[in-house]
Amino acid sequence: MKLKLTWLMTLFMAFVMQLSFAQEKTVTGTVTSATDGLPLPGVSVIVKGTSRGVQTDFDGNYSIKASTGETLVFSFVGMKTSEKKVGQSSTLNLAMAEDLAELETVVITGYAGATNSSKITSALATVDAESIEQVPISSVDQMLQGQAAGVNVSTGSGQPGQSATIIIRGRNSLNGDTEPLFIIDGVPVDQDNFRSLNQNDIASMSVLKDAAATAIYGNRGAGGVILITTKTGKKGSGIKVQYRSLYGVSEVPSPRFDVMNASQFLTFQRDMLPGTQLGDSLSDETIAAIAAQSNTKWADILLRQGKTTSHEFSVTTGGENSSSFSSINYFKQEGTTLGSDLKRFSFRNNFNANSADNKLNFSTTLTANYSVSDFVVDAIRGNNTGGQLDNPFIVPYIGMPFLSPYNPDGSINIWGTGPTNTGGSGAYLANGQINYDDVDGFLNTPFIALNTAALGTDQESEVKIVGRIAADYNFAKNLTVGTSFGIDYTNRERLFINPPGSIRSFRTPTDASEFKGTQFESFYRDANFITNVFVRYDNNITEKLNLNAAVFAEYNYANTQIASLQAYGLNPALPGSGAGFTDGNTTEGANGDEYNYVPAVGSSESELALASIFATMDLDYDNRFGLSASIRNDATSRFVENRDGIFWSVSGRWNLDNEAFMENVDWLSTLKLRASYGVVGNQGVGTRYQGSQTVAAGSGYQLGNSYQLGTLIDPAIQWETSNQFNVGLSFGFWQNRLSGELDFYDYLTTDLFAGKLLSTAGTGSSAVTTNVADMSNKGIDLQISYDLLRKSDTNDWSITLNANGNYNKNLVESLPGEFTGTTLRIAEGYSANTWYRVRWAGVNPANGEPLYLDADGNLTNLYDPNNRVYLDKNFDPTYTGGFGADISYKGFALNALFSFQADRWKNNSSLALIEDSSLGSILNLSTSMLNAWTTPGQITDVPSLSYGGLRAAAGDRYLEDASFLRLRNISLSYNVDKKVLEQTNVFTGIRVFVQGTNLMTWTKFRGFDPEGTVASTFFEYPVARTISLGFDLTF
Amino acid sequence: MKKYLVILTLSVTTLFVGCSDQLDRFPVDQLVEATAYNTVEDLQFGLNGVIGNYDSGYIIGMSSIFTDNTHLGQDNGGQDRGLHEQILNADTGGFTFAGRLWESRYSLINQMNRLFAAASTITPASGEEDTYNNILAQNYAFRALAHYDLLLYYGLDFTNDAALGVPYVDYVSADATPGRNTVGEVLAGIQNDLDQALALFPAGTSDINFATPDFVTFLRARIALESGDNIGAVGFCTSLIADYPLANTSQYFDMFNEDANKTEVVFNYDNVQGADYGINFYWNFSGQGPKFEISRELYDLYEDDDIRKTVILDPASDEPANRLVIGKYPINADTQAINDFKAMRISEMYLTRAEAYAKQSQFGLAAADVLAVQTARRASTPPPVEFNSVLGAVEAIIAERRLELAFEGHRYTDIKRVRAITGEGIERFEDLGDCGGSIPCSLPSSSPKFILPIPTGELNGNPVIREQQAPGY
Repeated sequence: MKLKLTWLMTLFMAFVMQLSFAQEKTVTGTVTSATDGLPLPGVSVIVKGTSRGVQTDFDGNYSIKASTGETLVFSFVGMKTSEKKVGQSSTLNLAMAEDLAELETVVITGYAGATNSSKITSALATVDAESIEQVPISSVDQMLQGQAAGVNVSTGSGQPGQSATIIIRGRNSLNGDTEPLFIIDGVPVDQDNFRSLNQNDIASMSVLKDAAATAIYGNRGAGGVILITTKTGKKGSGIKVQYRSLYGVSEVPSPRFDVMNASQFLTFQRDMLPGTQLGDSLSDETIAAIAAQSNTKWADILLRQGKTTSHEFSVTTGGENSSSFSSINYFKQEGTTLGSDLKRFSFRNNFNANSADNKLNFSTTLTANYSVSDFVVDAIRGNNTGGQLDNPFIVPYIGMPFLSPYNPDGSINIWGTGPTNTGGSGAYLANGQINYDDVDGFLNTPFIALNTAALGTDQESEVKIVGRIAADYNFAKNLTVGTSFGIDYTNRERLFINPPGSIRSFRTPTDASEFKGTQFESFYRDANFITNVFVRYDNNITEKLNLNAAVFAEYNYANTQIASLQAYGLNPALPGSGAGFTDGNTTEGANGDEYNYVPAVGSSESELALASIFATMDLDYDNRFGLSASIRNDATSRFVENRDGIFWSVSGRWNLDNEAFMENVDWLSTLKLRASYGVVGNQGVGTRYQGSQTVAAGSGYQLGNSYQLGTLIDPAIQWETSNQFNVGLSFGFWQNRLSGELDFYDYLTTDLFAGKLLSTAGTGSSAVTTNVADMSNKGIDLQISYDLLRKSDTNDWSITLNANGNYNKNLVESLPGEFTGTTLRIAEGYSANTWYRVRWAGVNPANGEPLYLDADGNLTNLYDPNNRVYLDKNFDPTYTGGFGADISYKGFALNALFSFQADRWKNNSSLALIEDSSLGSILNLSTSMLNAWTTPGQITDVPSLSYGGLRAAAGDRYLEDASFLRLRNISLSYNVDKKVLEQTNVFTGIRVFVQGTNLMTWTKFRGFDPEGTVASTFFEYPVARTISLGFDLTF
Repeated sequence: MKKYLVILTLSVTTLFVGCSDQLDRFPVDQLVEATAYNTVEDLQFGLNGVIGNYDSGYIIGMSSIFTDNTHLGQDNGGQDRGLHEQILNADTGGFTFAGRLWESRYSLINQMNRLFAAASTITPASGEEDTYNNILAQNYAFRALAHYDLLLYYGLDFTNDAALGVPYVDYVSADATPGRNTVGEVLAGIQNDLDQALALFPAGTSDINFATPDFVTFLRARIALESGDNIGAVGFCTSLIADYPLANTSQYFDMFNEDANKTEVVFNYDNVQGADYGINFYWNFSGQGPKFEISRELYDLYEDDDIRKTVILDPASDEPANRLVIGKYPINADTQAINDFKAMRISEMYLTRAEAYAKQSQFGLAAADVLAVQTARRASTPPPVEFNSVLGAVEAIIAERRLELAFEGHRYTDIKRVRAITGEGIERFEDLGDCGGSIPCSLPSSSPKFILPIPTGELNGNPVIREQQAPGY
């Protein structure tokens, strides 16, 4: 006590002394941000060498007593600290510059929340809001394409809202879940459905790539984890209202294949194609007449420009002890073909508050969304194969060019034309009546597709709610306790109507039924709950040593319910209504004993529970060394005999830049060495009851009730284990002008779910899926950014170039039976999904026969499956990544992002179909068929047509390089100048932009789109090219 | 501090223990095997599953599409083309509708063995004994049939008891890797199952939609013919022929139209709406667009007044344009082409007996049986039949079987059975438009393709049988 008093006295004395010797005055001023000119509240202003200090208010104003000659120190998080000498004037304004070195320092990691990047020991990548916002891609996960090293993003369909398939650092599972765990604001969410969520709400996405970061997610973390953090207000930032709008137009990319036109096709049929078909007996004049009459490019009829519209209001508030973010968004996107669209209405409210002493924190995040999607007969939807004749994307390939799409009155014909032998599509008999046998035949394909698009309904409406309430309390010195409760709720209702009178209704329920058509409705409800409690201990044990440790308990529960009904025989006067269903007891037929309208109903439910305890520990010594460790015990209801799994990680860092010996190295700003090793699991395999041998109840012989053994299981089944080693370097040179991260990883997945091969004779099953295989992924991630020009007082230009890339080598280390699959194989000693085919060797110029290489590489004219070889071509890309540039000059900004996938091979079954001459009487063919061999000595790659259809004997003829480079997004925007805005007195910010998404794609793949998610492409819905423009208004 | 640690430990433990109770989750929509079978009715459900899974699709499909009974249909878009091109190796050879016979039959046998295991834990209440016994009898009879099918298609030599057959499986195992049993061992197992079935059939078992004592006799006749026991074959055939008349032309027509007549059917696989093989669609798309058609050669072999010619050709055909749509399992008035599979018909017994007689050089008796079938099928009186040699008789009998049993799953095994006598394999005729290009016209009688290869999957999972692959694969 006495000591304290002495100190106070000394201080007082000093103060008095100063008062007496200096000429003191009150200095006032405003602190603004140099980048946007907005006032900066909360900046600390201190008189250097004294304890006098104040903070700027909401408007950035301050007022402090200081003497001439003294120095004021202005400091603020994220800004460069500056010093200004007090001169004669008593006004001192300051525009603070952003501290680029410090800006990138906060990253979101798992359960620890925001962490200074210098303390990170794991491999992670962050994608911030700017590269996501206002991009007309309607599924958040797709946004990651080309954005982060080691994150491979592919989309299987151009249906608006289509979820992407994401694989982080190589395929890590053969039969289980390969996609990362997605967590939005602490709530694990469905990884395959983001179509209802508004991506403009996102503040940042963190991709956790190694065990150091993911082991804490236990038996769900092996595929990586993607943490999505949504926006929140900044404390003390006041209120900000923003209105944003976007308009766009989408179309399919230009196809890289050609089909014949009417005259080519009919001439080809007559002159070249063996067999009997329409063109055979036509004279040149007749063909010319038909071609003049109708020469249809079916792509022009089936495909369209889709429109995108988005309107959004958001309100951000920031008070002293609370902040919030609220938004509402209306988004509508039409697909590039008739009847494909997404409409959604999204709502969000995020709220944070803390007690005045900062000891109690409370936050809620809540988003509620409603979306309606209309689907076409998409190749990857449901059980579709792509070969459905009402798939709009098969029509541009196989639709006959000599058929006219129009009715005599000029409207689109959705039924087809007359008998096939008179050049029609077979929809009608000669007498003008519908030909029920041929109306759904190949020749009528374009009209079937148009008919379904025009008359059918396939709609899903979805309510999606993601929310969480969390609180923590610093109840004792160094100790904090916290809890949270979160939910991911999805309710989806599907309505499928095959209306009476449509082509697809003619055989539904049966050919002879009097009433036609069917209506299917399903109800799907998926609710995922998570609750978590923790205690955290955080203490500076010595001046240099900090310990942060926490213990958590968590419980996840998922419940999924599905119910469905299907009714038959609809009354066309009551579309979509149960009142129009034909009674199930109705009988028909000669004997009055046929039940054609018995409705089908279904109901099912499943559950999954996961109970976990886990702990983390982070040690930091002097900001130079760090050691982190985590351990988690997960118990899952999915497994029975082996329920509990323990997952852990250890990681460390050495911040070389903070070492004394590096102090004088000016050109080096950041240098950190990281290393980690850990064990992560994947429980996402099989059914939710994979540990129990089930018996399925159903119907058997004579439709009697039956019991049949479910899929054979191994009761000892457990999670897959991924052993992950990562070593990395974070670097920054020349004030971080050049900065980046370089990582090497070596992952070995053991206990992989794969078929343990059984003798079917001995056990009744050819395999049981259990933990038997091993697979490794080794690779390099590089993420690099270079500031070519930085904005400064003297320079209006800012140019940043960035690039990221991943090289991944996947290897199946061991697999029972050495391989699975026939032509696309998972084989021991090869990368997963390696092609195994007979090598096509072209056409023999002497006689036009197809040639192959036998297993030894010798030419042969026989197609023999025994000559298949591993081709060193695989479906998963070896190289992925992206690069781009952010350029700004004054108010203008140009942002470009390219994405690429390389060394990726797909079988082009679409092209194979239109090069199959045996189909030349019922479908249009590729123009390449005109080059078919006809004369000895002719060099061509299309065999003589006398060999018939060779699709089944194509070998690797259609195996194509599906590598691509894509201009993923490019935008040009203009921020209206501050001075102009001030004059309006309304706006604080106006941004207008024009943008192109997927504008250009460079590829060798001969189709609409090389991307896709299936190894054998068959008429998938291509991802759209979109041009959009929009504006953001801030009030 | 210590206090806090205690509270922390306690609360985490409490929470965790509490959650552990939540981890026992059982399927809502399925039963768990250990508790599924409790009553005789449950066993009946199991049997419904067993018979429902006895799928003749492969046999019917293979015997028509692989052989000379079909040519490529006008609407074929590649469906089952490999089978038609006789591409047969350990990796291929599946039929779209039924996969491969090996997996289909052995998984069925496993199901039957599990049903036996479940039945052994249940004691029927009084009044349920007949039901219980019938379930067992059916299970035995179908297990015999399943092993017979396997032996016929995969066995190395049906006529030689010492030759390698197929694994005979009467147990449930999670990891057994059986090798081939000898033909003799398999036949002994089959006969034993048939004996068990006969002993267990309740009195008066005669529903042709299920196994019956006549079913057992019929199967024994087939086995006898295949194994060269011609005297036995004659005996079994004769006992059945005495009880079942041949259908006349109108009965024959009705048999294959609307399933309206079952006069000569010994075992009828009862397809109903919702539980239907969909046999018509093996060869035809809905609307009778043909993937495969009747080969011109086969069609031309029928006399014009033969009811079988009428039955076999679908009305959607365009005969002059060589569009010969298979109509043996027609669309019917229900428009859904639901047709029973007449798996055992008495005419087969006539021709089986004829073959057995012929092989014993009893040509007169053989000719009489062939004539009996021809007479029943034709409107006019057929010309007399006369045989002078084993070769001539067998060729004529197989030709008659081809006409009589087309698209009923016999052609491939018929050619196979007598190829040693006739020296003939599968011959298709290019000048008739039945083959050419990538579709082979001739499969020599010496081809290894008359014994199916053990599928790769089995070889991979079973090191014992890996050493026993059929020759030529």
